Amino acid sequence: MAATPGSEARTGLKLISPTAIYVILLLAVPLATVLIYSVMTGGRGNVSFPVTGENYYSLLNTKGGGNLIDYFAKGMPGEDPDLTFLKWIWNGLSNAVYVFVLLKSLMIALAVTLITVLLAYPVAYFVSFHVKPDRKSLWLFLITIPFWTSYIIRVSLWFVILGYDGLLDKLLMSLGITNTQLNFSSYGVPAIIFILAHAYAPFAVLPIFVSLEKVDRSLLEAGQDLGESRWITFLRVTLPLSMPGVIAASLIVFIPTVGDYVTPRLVGDGKQPLIANFIETQLLKLQDFPQGSAFAVASMLMVGIVSVGFVLLNRRFIRGQK
Amino acid sequence: MKRAPLLKSYTIFYLVFLYAPIVLLPIFAFNSGKVVAFPLQGFTLDWFREMLSDQNLRTAAKNSLIIALSVATLSTVLGIFAARASVRYRFPGKVPLMGLIMLPLVLPEMIVAMALLVVLLSIGVPLSLFTVIIGQVLITTPFAVAILTSAFQSLDKSLEEAAMDLGETAWGTFRLIILPLVMPGILASFLICFTISFDEFIISNFLGSGQPILSVYIFGQFRFPAKVPSMLALGTVLVCMSIILLGFAEYFRRRGIAKAGGKDSGGFL
Amino acid sequence: MTFSDDRPTMIEFKEVHKYYGDYHALRGINGTIKAGEFFSLLGPSGCGKTTLLRTIAGFEDISSGVIMIDGKDMASVAANTRPTNMVFQSYAIFPHMTVEENVGFGLRKDPRSKEEKAKAVAESLDMVGLKGFGKRAAHALSGGQRQRVALARALILKPKVLLLDEPLSALDKKMREHMQVELIKLQRQVGITFILVTHDQEEALVMSDRIAVMFDGEIAQLADPETLYRRPATKKVADFIGTMNFVPADILSESGNSVDVDAKGLGRVTLDIAQAPVKSGDSPVVGLRPETLTLLYDDQKAPERETAGVIDEVIYFGDMTYYDVYLGGTDVEVRLSMRNVPGRPVLDVGTKVRVAWSPSALVLFR
Repeated sequence: MAATPGSEARTGLKLISPTAIYVILLLAVPLATVLIYSVMTGGRGNVSFPVTGENYYSLLNTKGGGNLIDYFAKGMPGEDPDLTFLKWIWNGLSNAVYVFVLLKSLMIALAVTLITVLLAYPVAYFVSFHVKPDRKSLWLFLITIPFWTSYIIRVSLWFVILGYDGLLDKLLMSLGITNTQLNFSSYGVPAIIFILAHAYAPFAVLPIFVSLEKVDRSLLEAGQDLGESRWITFLRVTLPLSMPGVIAASLIVFIPTVGDYVTPRLVGDGKQPLIANFIETQLLKLQDFPQGSAFAVASMLMVGIVSVGFVLLNRRFIRGQK
Repeated sequence: MKRAPLLKSYTIFYLVFLYAPIVLLPIFAFNSGKVVAFPLQGFTLDWFREMLSDQNLRTAAKNSLIIALSVATLSTVLGIFAARASVRYRFPGKVPLMGLIMLPLVLPEMIVAMALLVVLLSIGVPLSLFTVIIGQVLITTPFAVAILTSAFQSLDKSLEEAAMDLGETAWGTFRLIILPLVMPGILASFLICFTISFDEFIISNFLGSGQPILSVYIFGQFRFPAKVPSMLALGTVLVCMSIILLGFAEYFRRRGIAKAGGKDSGGFL
Repeated sequence: MTFSDDRPTMIEFKEVHKYYGDYHALRGINGTIKAGEFFSLLGPSGCGKTTLLRTIAGFEDISSGVIMIDGKDMASVAANTRPTNMVFQSYAIFPHMTVEENVGFGLRKDPRSKEEKAKAVAESLDMVGLKGFGKRAAHALSGGQRQRVALARALILKPKVLLLDEPLSALDKKMREHMQVELIKLQRQVGITFILVTHDQEEALVMSDRIAVMFDGEIAQLADPETLYRRPATKKVADFIGTMNFVPADILSESGNSVDVDAKGLGRVTLDIAQAPVKSGDSPVVGLRPETLTLLYDDQKAPERETAGVIDEVIYFGDMTYYDVYLGGTDVEVRLSMRNVPGRPVLDVGTKVRVAWSPSALVLFR
């Protein structure tokens, strides 16, 4: 029996070593390589010295050889009366290819997260508060099944439904609502958001459900006993107590959606590339290892910062409860 | 339980939304029309026949099976090591190591795939099913660790001590006490890793060097309208398989809880 | 209850220390446990009693010192080869096995035939009162039954020492009292050394031949129950075991075999040196157990000494009444207990009373 600190540490390290070596070689080393590549000079398919910060600076490049820093440093040009401040910002950002993809992916992922969590909350609430305990597993099982069926098939099916001359178009046309194909799937960003929100919906229910289950039912009775309406009790007790679950759900939805590859490839014939598609282009198609690596690192940073933001938010809620 | 008709109808509506695309699978898999459209034409098994006779599909399915079995085995074994070490022992570097193991959960999969790809290419490892396996193991191991950690955690430490106290060796204790008690967790981990691997697309696509793998193959076929009905037939089969596997996983999980004499406290994850 | 001290030594501790990092869990344990003794380690939670038990079992290494079991140094002996077996607080019944498989678990490497082993299992179950329970699934047992299975499983290996880690704490009061008696009987029957860890002083007093009272990783006193109760070595021990009144006192003089003290409210009294065994640096107080004080009714005379007092509080317990009494016009309050016998009325708060006491029942802590 391991008992002294030294022998316990040795046994523990020995035990974890296969897994640790595996992830160090196949995850840590590759990630470190990307990090190193991102500060190297290079061209097609190779990297070389010297070490440079150029690749990160280039992430701010705009179409036509400019750079976002110069664009904003110049200030807003005064001569055009139609140019509003927001339009000026938008023009700058939408011309900066890399930045724009990052921001677009972020916005889409946040929108999907918001929609998914808002749609999932009442479901989790219903199962937790209005379903008999012995029936809860069944409901959860029903909700989780779609998640465990092939993601590729689920996403592709939306194109059978929403695509050009798909089920939706045929239905609408036969009902005489429209006489041309609507082809919703070509609608770019809204279509991406819709399909992703569907694909990740079940992810959001479980964590919220778990946190709702932990809410002490006597607190709610206490609230109503003190004369509060059910709605006020929900706002003042249930909702704050379930926030950790809401934040966990947000994180669980946000991370895979921000890195989703398949949906943007399919929607609008891939004219709306998001982070994953862009990394593919940079690293595989253009073989621009340093630039692609810098972009990958930047997207990791962005995902990391947002995730840490969620976690900090969660800490605040957990502390708030104590 | 208080009645909440509004919430209940909303939940049912939500489920309909969740299942909307999936219910199309069996409907059109058995529909004799060549185009996916209402009204339905007639009943046919042609699409299943077409699916079964598709040589590429069979290769893809075989490859996917090889990958999924290897991934599930490997990540469950790696998961057992990591989960046991993290639950039972204190050692230096535990937090960063466990963090690294769980990292793929919070990393866009594309980045994991590309980082690995860049390294594999630069050291000249040819892409194959093997590279898909080692890549997917990175993705599935965190799930294995999560499931197995809870399995090891629910194991009372004094059970191990009791076995040692009654004269068993460390190995005997592991074999006779620990292993049987965490077996449901191991099976659940295996099934879930298998399912994730079977559906996985990004790593299969980028680390597979164009080898036919089921998810990649399906993705390609959906672009051809003529192929869609047989893909729907395939989808129907896969959904049924998933439900059966999940049913097993849930059964083992519950049996594990019952064995340990605990109380059921919810579903997966 | 008396224990003859001429039995051979089973366990010996020599300067046993145990550190968890910076935390000093055992601070120099010395002492011996005799063969066939029912020995208890008693103390509040965190005092090191369970740690000490686990070092005997071999689940914890010791940082320094020596533990000898039956004359052998245990330093390099692993838990699975020590002549000890343990009954765990949670009982640690293997949930995936039947009662039989649990009890027979330790016999796996026993060279005896299958039939002989089955017989041993049956005998062991019989001994703990679980005859016919062999085929039951372990997870379908009640708390008391689990404990019996744990006992049978440990005793079947005929260990030299049986270690019991708070075995009764999970049982309800009635069951606990019942099991206390059963454990005593069982121990007499098998004759094995039992070492019981408990935080329940009553349990320790009822069951043990000798008790080691532990505080903060040290043995404060090692004695038989009667000595422990009547002559606690320190104020802390006295306070932990039963109820004790403490009365501030001045030491007037001390000779070779007696001490003169002036106890507040009681007056001058000469104590035998045996009543003041240890000097621990406490400011001097004398201790009196509530049952050694008696209220005098009407014209009753005190056999030895008496002191006037006023009743401050009355606590009625049915068979007993506890009175808190101010002694002799001082602010010193003592609790005393009176049996409620017919013809003896329960007195009211504020009643002036006389309290009888005996100098030989006093203990001096200094």
